[in-house]
Amino acid sequence: MAKKEYDVLIVGSGHSGGMAANILTQQGLSCLMLNAGPEADYTRDRVNKAAHDLPYRGFGKPGRLEHVYQANEYNANQWVDEKENPYTYDPAKPYNWVRVRLLGGRSLFWARQSFRLSDLEFKAAEVDGGGESWPISLADLDPYYSRVEGIFRVSGRKEGWPQFPDGNFIETTYPPDSKTIQTVTDLCKQKNIGVSKMRSSQGQNGLASSINLLLPDAVATGKLDVVANAIVREITLDKDTGKANGAHFVDRHSKREMHVKAKVVVLAAGCLETTRLLLNSGLANSSGVLGHYLHDQIYGVSVVASVPEARDGKAPQGLMGGTAFLPRFRNLNKGEKRNFIKGYCAIISSGGSAQPNHFAAYGEDLQQKLEHYAGSCVSGSIYGERVPRFENHVRINKTVVDAWGIPVLHVDVKDSDNELNMAKDSADTMEEVFKNAGWEIISKTDKFYPPGYSIHEVGTARMGDNPKTSVLNKWSQSHDIKNLVVVDGASFVTCGWQNPTMTILALSMRASEHLVAEMKQGNV
Amino acid sequence: MMKRRGFIRALAATPAIPVLIAQQPAAAPAQAPTPGGRAGGRGAGSGGAPTEPPKIALSDVNDMAEGGRRFFTVAQFATLKKLGGILVPPVKGNIGALDCDAAEFLDFLIGVSPADRQQLYRNGLNSLDAQARKQFGKAFAEIDAKQADGILKPLLTQVAWVYDLPKEPLKRFVYQVHSDLRTATRNSPEAAAALANSGRRGGAGGGLYWNPIDPV
Repeated sequence: MAKKEYDVLIVGSGHSGGMAANILTQQGLSCLMLNAGPEADYTRDRVNKAAHDLPYRGFGKPGRLEHVYQANEYNANQWVDEKENPYTYDPAKPYNWVRVRLLGGRSLFWARQSFRLSDLEFKAAEVDGGGESWPISLADLDPYYSRVEGIFRVSGRKEGWPQFPDGNFIETTYPPDSKTIQTVTDLCKQKNIGVSKMRSSQGQNGLASSINLLLPDAVATGKLDVVANAIVREITLDKDTGKANGAHFVDRHSKREMHVKAKVVVLAAGCLETTRLLLNSGLANSSGVLGHYLHDQIYGVSVVASVPEARDGKAPQGLMGGTAFLPRFRNLNKGEKRNFIKGYCAIISSGGSAQPNHFAAYGEDLQQKLEHYAGSCVSGSIYGERVPRFENHVRINKTVVDAWGIPVLHVDVKDSDNELNMAKDSADTMEEVFKNAGWEIISKTDKFYPPGYSIHEVGTARMGDNPKTSVLNKWSQSHDIKNLVVVDGASFVTCGWQNPTMTILALSMRASEHLVAEMKQGNV
Repeated sequence: MMKRRGFIRALAATPAIPVLIAQQPAAAPAQAPTPGGRAGGRGAGSGGAPTEPPKIALSDVNDMAEGGRRFFTVAQFATLKKLGGILVPPVKGNIGALDCDAAEFLDFLIGVSPADRQQLYRNGLNSLDAQARKQFGKAFAEIDAKQADGILKPLLTQVAWVYDLPKEPLKRFVYQVHSDLRTATRNSPEAAAALANSGRRGGAGGGLYWNPIDPV
């Protein structure tokens, strides 16, 4: 019996797929969403446990999830199993690919930091003097950002700074800053570093995910079918028209091969899974750019200082506590002379404690030090932009397959001096601010995690006006196949220092509305 | 040998209001038997609606069994045990590594760890033992605390970032074994029991655990 042909097949259910489903179904299109993993049952699948009740006392099963530094024994089952879903890389160039295949994807677990990109990122080539700019500007995306911020209930303080665009924020009253945060603010101002507050999605009931903010409205239309445990192996084409017409997928449990039909295919599987699917399908790569320009952000650089008058539990009221956010302050102007391009942000937290690794001590001596410094620390954590470079890429490794027989990705990414110099500058800057405050530096590192750790990987199917140097047009459609749309982070040209989620959501909303218009006009 | 950990567990297991509890009538069974069938019977002829079978109370394996040494050699294990006593002693009422068999737990953990981790431990333990024999003419496990300090303190490293550990293998080992002994101690049932018994808040490892989700 001939099965239903959907208007749109959506592969993936995270923020980008959820937004596409939300928009497309409310415009009357019938949609099928395929998700590679199961749906989590928050009541059945989670239980409170003491560390000593876990098989490995909280250490986690040795050797499992060695690339997911965020994993621990409590959350190990939420991540993709690296044995079932391997990927390869040169050991000299490690890559941490952090994946979730549950319905809702990584939207279930993100940190909810909610920023817009600015024209420093959209027009990066003009600012940096090299690389590429996006084919769109902040003005193009502004109305979509505003709507996304409304749905996700983003809180933040408006500043009027071009490098830190304001948005449609919910009213937020901030308590007075502690003296330490005020000190950081004053010292940063002297160095022309703007200090603001974190911008964050409040969502609903502490969750700002696809499954509670986007998919319910789509399901309510009666236009969305969602299938879990469906691992898409290949996008299929109509031989006569050359258009995408559906996908082959594999049932996760039975490994049965199946096929679905659709007039349009929207890919929202996450930057690298989407790219893997396109490469395995042999599609959308007339430019030769597909899989290239993989980049994300550097995480791990940090400086910790101790405030002398807060030690031994003697911090007076109002001295410690609170946070500050320093949006990008480097290379804001074209003429700025640095040994790196682009920029970084920093989060300052006051009131923390020193950790055992901060001291070359053990036993009673260590315990005394930990108690002495408890609650007296101010930390600065830095997040910086990696440069998108052609040579940083993924390709299919045909010699290795996953548990469903699908060839895996080989990741080939390496940092450059730009990342190293940026990290050094950021650590030195934080150290200088803390020292100028009169605080003791107890830890400083300009080292950072391997690429991928930030879980902000983007860029492998970048958009652009030129089909010879980009995979997608400015509406996120494949240059080669107009009814093939990519709405996840693969479309990014530059990642910025910002968490990419708001931009992914805004781009998905914009692409989906454009797709509806094109379908109505018969252009797709 | 009566162990301190057994004593601590016994303390924690002592109910705060034993007299009141003793006066309670015997608790009714959680689930009454199904009429016409055994509890939880669902088959033909069992009669009545399907019911949950009674829940059998389970015991904690740590309360009645000990993990044996399986991975390290006798000499390596003795060195590890000695390290536990030196690096993570009981301080200010906190449990020490010897109180909770942290070395025994690490023998299990390292035994199921990747080869590079196993090698780090084996080499590290062997090196410390060899150094003690060379310096003091006896095994590391037999030297006194001052002698152990003399060996260990030059090997301590301040680590700014836990993913950037010392390159020198023995320093790396000392950092790692110290960190592991601390974690094994902090997350032990004995530490949780002692904390609960002390009335202090916080510090006990715990959280929301994700069960396997629809595993293949």
